Amino acid sequence: MADEEAGKEGEKKIVHVYPLVKHTDMNEEMRIEAIELSITACEKYSSNYEHAAKIIKENMDKKFGIYWHVVVGEGFGFEVSYETENILYLFFAGNLAIVLWKCS
Amino acid sequence: MATKPGKGDGKQVKGKLRTSKNKTDGPGGGGGDADDFDAWMKSRQLLKPDDQLDLTEAELGEEITKVLTPTNTNIVRNLVVYSFKEGEFVPAPLPGNTVTLIAFAGNSLHVDSDEGRRQIEESDEIGYPLPMPNYTVVEQRETDNVDGEEGEGEEDDDGATAKDAAVEDEDVEEEDDEEAKGTEGDEGEGEGEGEGAAARQEDDEPAHQAAAVSSKKRKLINQFNYCERGALTYTNPKRNVDTQTIPPPRSQFGANVLQWVIYDSYMENFAESQKDGTKKEERKRGKREKKFRDKSAIAEQLNKKYLKCWQILERMINQNIYDDIAHDYRYWEDPADEFREGEGNLLPLWKFQYDKTKKMNVTDILFNPSYYDLFAVCFGSHDFMKQTNEGYLCLFTVKNPSFPDYIIQTDCGVMCCDIHPTYPFLAVIGLYDGNVAVYNLREDCKEPLYVSRGVNCKHGECVWQIKWGLDMADGEVNFFSVSSDGRVFNWILMQNKLWVTTIITLYRENGLVDGPDGTKVTLKSGGSCMVFHPVDNKIFLVGTECGYIYKCSTAFSSKYLMTYYAHNMSVYRIDFNRFNSNIFVSCGADWMVKVWEDMRPDPLFIFDLGAAVGDVKWAPYSSTVFAAVTTEGKVHVFDLNVNKYKAICIQAVVPKRKNKLTRLSFNEKLAFIVVGDEKGVTTSLKLSPNLRMMVKPPKKQLYLDQNTLQIGKLEKLLSLVRELPEGSTAVPDAATTVRS
Repeated sequence: MADEEAGKEGEKKIVHVYPLVKHTDMNEEMRIEAIELSITACEKYSSNYEHAAKIIKENMDKKFGIYWHVVVGEGFGFEVSYETENILYLFFAGNLAIVLWKCS
Repeated sequence: MATKPGKGDGKQVKGKLRTSKNKTDGPGGGGGDADDFDAWMKSRQLLKPDDQLDLTEAELGEEITKVLTPTNTNIVRNLVVYSFKEGEFVPAPLPGNTVTLIAFAGNSLHVDSDEGRRQIEESDEIGYPLPMPNYTVVEQRETDNVDGEEGEGEEDDDGATAKDAAVEDEDVEEEDDEEAKGTEGDEGEGEGEGEGAAARQEDDEPAHQAAAVSSKKRKLINQFNYCERGALTYTNPKRNVDTQTIPPPRSQFGANVLQWVIYDSYMENFAESQKDGTKKEERKRGKREKKFRDKSAIAEQLNKKYLKCWQILERMINQNIYDDIAHDYRYWEDPADEFREGEGNLLPLWKFQYDKTKKMNVTDILFNPSYYDLFAVCFGSHDFMKQTNEGYLCLFTVKNPSFPDYIIQTDCGVMCCDIHPTYPFLAVIGLYDGNVAVYNLREDCKEPLYVSRGVNCKHGECVWQIKWGLDMADGEVNFFSVSSDGRVFNWILMQNKLWVTTIITLYRENGLVDGPDGTKVTLKSGGSCMVFHPVDNKIFLVGTECGYIYKCSTAFSSKYLMTYYAHNMSVYRIDFNRFNSNIFVSCGADWMVKVWEDMRPDPLFIFDLGAAVGDVKWAPYSSTVFAAVTTEGKVHVFDLNVNKYKAICIQAVVPKRKNKLTRLSFNEKLAFIVVGDEKGVTTSLKLSPNLRMMVKPPKKQLYLDQNTLQIGKLEKLLSLVRELPEGSTAVPDAATTVRS
């Protein structure tokens, strides 16, 4: 079983690199923008999550007002309070989680 | 004050300074000082310049007298300037002896000065209350109470006098030194005794005071004494107002990011999306199909319009290409015919073929009864072993020899067809598999209007000929078909299906044969052709594969009205004469063409064409002309009026070995025929003038029309034949058989 699964996983992981929105309450426009931004940043700085997060944050600040917070990483836990309609919890590239929220 | 020690060259001043400069000697100033000085001098070694004069004691003791004068010795006395006016050097005016060392402007203004007086007047005039200078107030007070506030008054007075002194200083500076000294002395006195000064001022006051009192002792303005005229406005009271907005709503969210969480989410999402995807695809497909259908419907309509345009264009092009043929077809008359008696020829015109039917046989040809230029050609196969799995009915027009106007495709060979005389768009076809189908040429030629279905509602074998019948009493359209299964069916076009009834089953006479197990089987003869009586529409003739021709009626199904033992082999075609419905012609595979009269068991004429005769037809324009086609590829045209024994034209249309002619049809209006062959080609041939000789009316009967004349012509001919004894007819026939 384990072997099978492992095999499947190896095979399917390659398939699932598309951005998967796990949780969000953003409006359509903001969501699309944020996803786009996250993807671009994470693809560009795939080796440096810190940098990617910084880029995302700065851009979000510019576009949707300041006090954005961004976490990019492969494993972490979080419990945040945010301004309603300003959170995006996104999986990307199969092993990456990106959390964006706004809280002033 | 203005003298300087260095500058003064006065003789009266002794050089005390010089003595003080001397190093050692000279008991200079006070004793205490000298001691200190000596002590100081001793402590240091004085440097002596090299060029210092070394004077003796006597020299040192010599007195040199210097006199100081008030004249400036530095003035150049003989200074000249060039005067342009006079054109010569004139002595410049001497500058005075005065040397100004310092000039200092004061800020006080004397009350009695011109300026002061003017200001007071002005302030009176404008009535503007200038702030009162302090000193005047003090002075007034002093006058009131001398004792009480002396000190203050003194102070103020001092200030005032000081100011006055300064003013005076300024003024005096330009005056002589002595004067200045005098006034200073005065001032000093004034300073010394304040009360005295005040008293003296008081003495001066009366007139001045009157003015001051009247003007309320205004402050005088000069360049240093400003008067502030600021105004203080009310300060508005301050108030604090604040509001607090409702903070934007906040929510809490938390999660743990772990690789397996991400993986699981992806798997879940993927599965869902696949489900959705299939659904969506289905939907999309459905939509697409619908769209496609809609589109195709629109496109078809559009295409039909286009098609019509293209058809017109195609016809125009063909007309240009086959211009000469088009002319021949109408107007060319073979001039050679004038010089040959009883012979004619055929001029080939167009060849009609269709790419898809190149290897098929022409199984039937038929002109449309309404449109003279339109003819239907059936494509199938006469060879039992080489049946194709497709068949065509093509409708060509002579206006467009390159492509059929209508194409109907079937899934087996089309053996025969008929076009309804009153509804020229209704075409019925008989198929090799025994089915029949009705097509509406006005609509889509892809799907039949009616088609026979099922095992019982069809012929068991190939349908050989099919004919539209006269409409039924209640207006139903119907047709008849004959097949090699030995039956003649009547098909009625119902609302949505074909209704079939058996008209007659072609049992053979003496056809009872012993079947298996002692049963009796009646043999049937397969029908191969049929034709309706042109006048009596109940009567029809059926040719069979055994060579018999049965005369039947649709009214009776059991009995033949007449049986002709016509041919030794299969009868291929029968045709009624257009002018005399008692006369018909038949042809068969036994090379024979026979002309029959109704109810006469023996033929009137027998012609041997030397090969199986595929088709024979009476000409529509003459009662004595008929044409036949043979498998040899020849067309035979007979005119019984011209030659009772021989064809007046025998012409090979297709090569003998490779090709065979199968069917033939006369055009109803124009003098040309179309013949079909086994290679799917239909050839049109123009009949030369000799083949369509009209009857010349006798001189006494010019009023008779052609129809009557034709009938008369045939009657005359028949009477000749009829009168002959039975035996004798056969003899000339035998003599006239054409040897191939």
